[in-house]
Amino acid sequence: MTITEKIIALNSGRKRVVPGELVWVNVHTVMTMDYLGAQTFAKLHELGVEDVFDRNRVICVSDHLVPPPNEKFATMLNEWRRIVRSHHITHFYDLGNQGIAHQIMVEKGHVLPGRISVGTDSHANTYGAVGALGNAVGVTDAAVAMAIGKLWMRVPESVKFIVRGEWPPYVMAKDLSLHVMGMMHWNGHLIYKAIEYTGDAISRLGMAGRMTLCNMTVDLGAKNGIIAPDAITRKYLRSRTEEKYLNVQSDPDAAYEQVYEIDLRQVGPTVSRPHRLDDVVPIEAVEGIPFNKAFVGTCTNGRVEDLEMMARILRGKRIHPDVNMLVVPASQAVYLEAMKKGYLAILVEAGAAIDTPSCAACAGIHTGVAGDGDVVLSAGNRNMQGRMGSKKAEIYLTSPAVVAASALFGKITDPRKL
Amino acid sequence: MKVTGKCWVAQGYVMAYDIIVQQFWTSPIDPKENARWVMAGVSEAFNRENGFASQGYTFIVAGHNFAGGGKSIEHVVTGLMGAGIKAVFADSFSRLQFRNAINYGLPFITCKDIAKGCQTGDELEWDTATGLIRNLTNGHVFQSVPVAPFVSEIAAAGGLMNFIKKRIAEGTIGELH
Repeated sequence: MTITEKIIALNSGRKRVVPGELVWVNVHTVMTMDYLGAQTFAKLHELGVEDVFDRNRVICVSDHLVPPPNEKFATMLNEWRRIVRSHHITHFYDLGNQGIAHQIMVEKGHVLPGRISVGTDSHANTYGAVGALGNAVGVTDAAVAMAIGKLWMRVPESVKFIVRGEWPPYVMAKDLSLHVMGMMHWNGHLIYKAIEYTGDAISRLGMAGRMTLCNMTVDLGAKNGIIAPDAITRKYLRSRTEEKYLNVQSDPDAAYEQVYEIDLRQVGPTVSRPHRLDDVVPIEAVEGIPFNKAFVGTCTNGRVEDLEMMARILRGKRIHPDVNMLVVPASQAVYLEAMKKGYLAILVEAGAAIDTPSCAACAGIHTGVAGDGDVVLSAGNRNMQGRMGSKKAEIYLTSPAVVAASALFGKITDPRKL
Repeated sequence: MKVTGKCWVAQGYVMAYDIIVQQFWTSPIDPKENARWVMAGVSEAFNRENGFASQGYTFIVAGHNFAGGGKSIEHVVTGLMGAGIKAVFADSFSRLQFRNAINYGLPFITCKDIAKGCQTGDELEWDTATGLIRNLTNGHVFQSVPVAPFVSEIAAAGGLMNFIKKRIAEGTIGELH
């Protein structure tokens, strides 16, 4: 069996599962957040259930609405806080202790290798970075999981990507993610598949990059993305959890629907053009295109390693006067670490604005949204028309390295040529 | 149980956005209203009140990624059910709509290459127990992926919420696996 099949088997009390099978699984943790949390708890009450199945395993995060930019969000947040408190939820990450829910789930040790965690936000696939099965669900499924600690699942076929070679300078996990998007297409062949990333290049990739890779598997249409736990995973989890976890790995004879091999020598800085995620090109095809807004943050690319890369590029320099650059660390912990390491000072000195950890402009509902005529160079995850606000804006997606290098000139720039 | 009826065969890729176009995303969900305008974005013929619902189809037959496009709106499923659809047979489904369909009690049945052996208007017979789908018009037979028994139980209970409520009342949640 593949790692995903094994996790489903282990958590459904079975010895074996086969793709296509529908089974009920035990859920390790359920995440809900400020934007949909009130609806989720309302559904829980509709089931006639007062208490969640385990108040240590329902994780509540304020990320889409904090700090509230308007009255509507402020009132939604008040209702959200009232509901979370009334359920005596142990882990409530509210303003001051907040972060983007998926960052929080991994960073605080709420997702573990070999276990299943779900959340009411599409990028819950991120949890695969530590070898967990992470899945996005709607409010009905989340309410059921919160009530009974179970959920039904369809066992997906698995597709393996073997990634080989050294990571070239300034080439990041995001470039690989977009490269795969270009190969496989948005909502293409990978619909409902389990994507397993493996190979020596993945073994060398740190947890931040693994989170970026698994995060965007949902945008490929996949059920989940996963990287088997290894020494990097164990080291990452050491200070984050005291719970025991299993070292689940794919069997050598596991059956894959497809196996693809990628040599990193073929992957350079990569850009997805407006308004289609899979309109992916190597940076050479878009070099010189002017833009006026730069955005780095989100559950895809708002981590310390991303900010470190930007600081390397922007140290002692000044971004172009026509560019507004917004940088949003993915969590308070990321913010603090980047501050202590001096990265934030470098970014501010270069002319970037740092905002409070949140989903920010990514979903077009919070700070930094795009207006008519804006051309945004973003390290986020989606670029469909209107995603970040105005339908008359254009969004190019790329890595934090490309955003930083390009911000210096106000036009898309290859960081390798600096 | 055997279900018999006329099928509509999708031409090409049918997205969730086509099944219920944005102007008909009722809030809250209104199955009757959703049924009146379901499939409005798929073809001009269906782009009128009851354009699809009045055709009397029982089944939909489709290719890959039926109801895809990354939208989780539940109106897709309530609209199809309201229009009398009893099951959808396709090579594959979008994950979000597959979950919605099962949770509302509309079987989305995986059946490879069925679209190649059916034409709109053909009479199909679906054996829910064996997963065998017989095209009574041209004699072709297809073996679909059988569904777990809980899927029919959810449908019989009138959806996932009722199913879970019933299980909690009976004290049989522990038996779900």
